[in-house]
Amino acid sequence: MNSRAWPAEGDSRVPYWVYTDEAIYRREIERIFEGPTWSYLALECELPKPGNWKRTWIGEKSVLVVRGEDGVVRGFLNRCAHRGVQLCQHDSGHVRQFRCPYHQWTYDLDGRLLGMPFRHGVKGVGGMPAEFDFSQHGLTPIRIAARRGGVFGSLSAETAPLESYLGEKMLAFYDRVFDGRELRLLGYSRQRLAANWKLILENIKDTCHASLLHVFFVTFGLFRVDNPSKVRMDDTGLHAALISERGKQELNEGTRQMHSFKQQLTLQDPRLLDTAREFPGDATVIMHTFWPNLILQQQSNTLATRQIVPRGPHEFDLHWTFFGYASDDEEMTRRRLRQANLMGPGGLVSMDDGEIITRAQAGFRSAAEAAGINEMGGRDYADSDHMVTDVALRAFYRGYRNVMGL
Amino acid sequence: MSLREELEDFYTEYSEVIDGGALERWPELFVEPCVYRIVSKENHDKGLPLSLMLCESLGMLKDRAYASKELNVYAPRAWRHSITQIRGREDGARISARANFVVFETLPDRHTQVLCAGRYLDTLVRTEAGLRLREKLCVYDAALIPGSIVMPL
Repeated sequence: MNSRAWPAEGDSRVPYWVYTDEAIYRREIERIFEGPTWSYLALECELPKPGNWKRTWIGEKSVLVVRGEDGVVRGFLNRCAHRGVQLCQHDSGHVRQFRCPYHQWTYDLDGRLLGMPFRHGVKGVGGMPAEFDFSQHGLTPIRIAARRGGVFGSLSAETAPLESYLGEKMLAFYDRVFDGRELRLLGYSRQRLAANWKLILENIKDTCHASLLHVFFVTFGLFRVDNPSKVRMDDTGLHAALISERGKQELNEGTRQMHSFKQQLTLQDPRLLDTAREFPGDATVIMHTFWPNLILQQQSNTLATRQIVPRGPHEFDLHWTFFGYASDDEEMTRRRLRQANLMGPGGLVSMDDGEIITRAQAGFRSAAEAAGINEMGGRDYADSDHMVTDVALRAFYRGYRNVMGL
Repeated sequence: MSLREELEDFYTEYSEVIDGGALERWPELFVEPCVYRIVSKENHDKGLPLSLMLCESLGMLKDRAYASKELNVYAPRAWRHSITQIRGREDGARISARANFVVFETLPDRHTQVLCAGRYLDTLVRTEAGLRLREKLCVYDAALIPGSIVMPL
């Protein structure tokens, strides 16, 4: 890694070794995922009652979030304090206590070690030493921050409070979706992609590709490069929001009359794109990237978090959690579920993304010394009021280089 | 011909249409009103309504088939369905069918992999053209889909 030098052009170029180098990846785990960052873990609606738990991840680490008897959500490493066995293997569940099956060490919902069999020996022999301190051998806690339905975790004591970590500007975007209404869980999609984890963040920050790669969008007139659009970023460049509006015709009349400007194609069943306005303002789509592991999407009426779990330089898992609001009527829920066809591992739009970043990774494998070019729209880092720009990618790599010392 | 043999013939045709690349014929195997869904075992078991793929009409089936064949961008691949343990029960005008499915996927520079395995929970009806799907529910077992599901299962 020491021989790796960033290209002289700076943040507008990305050397491919950042996607392939094992030592870079290890440094990412240490400085980013296990460093002073907030990783998205869950939605509060997944933990409706005391005792509800969910298995989730910070970087590669398996983590449990659980709602305590007091209603507070806590987080722990998913690892028994005795011999390191993963406590939970299912995705979620409900318990009064956590009990490791190996030697039945038992913990309460606060992670305190309650006891184990044979503690005092059997028939006067064996047992744990009298001085064994239960208070020192609970589950390893992690810091948790919950805000308006979203739950985040951090392994570092240095991490700033979530609100200042996201910053005022990004927090306003976050609060637009997590607006205080109770959320309703609609379901999960999970996939493993043979690509570096950064590529899915880049994919969302890359405004240019949407009207080029996604032929589905273009064919059915959903998205064009001249749609009013904006790119908004925080000072670090690591968080971003991409905002776009669809044509007024679509907003006023739904999508029944949409035609491709090239091919004049219409959907056989236009209900797929029958969207409804539900947020204030003109934006119809806002795609958020919250450093380091969350994509929050409001793609018309599909709301979803995408949680990134790195699995080495060449692979990552993407966990999609689709949700709506508890107050949604049946029609809105149907709309969200129907529009979900565009997203996920079989998404009419998202499948292109998963496939193209896999293809990019294949390109990097044999070209670690070459570099990608992010110079659309110039070389600056300023918020943009159009989408013909790579500015969010440049800002991202400026922030990334700061964190990584590259 | 027994119901099981009829269903075997139907599922053979179904897999040949998809694996053979004739996706435009896939909607012909359904009859309106129809529903096609791919659902993870996780969502199915938890009663969560999200589908990985959802088509609620012949029109949506045609849109999906067209997109998959003409619009979506994905690596070239071979698909091979294996549909086994077929059971059916005829109840008036409806036939409930259950089967296991496995889809093998072969990508460039890779060994053939199992894309996913799961169960079909289907409802079919008799038409002049033969058996046709009224509802098809594909419940896949995978905790993680390897890559993408670029065509209907």
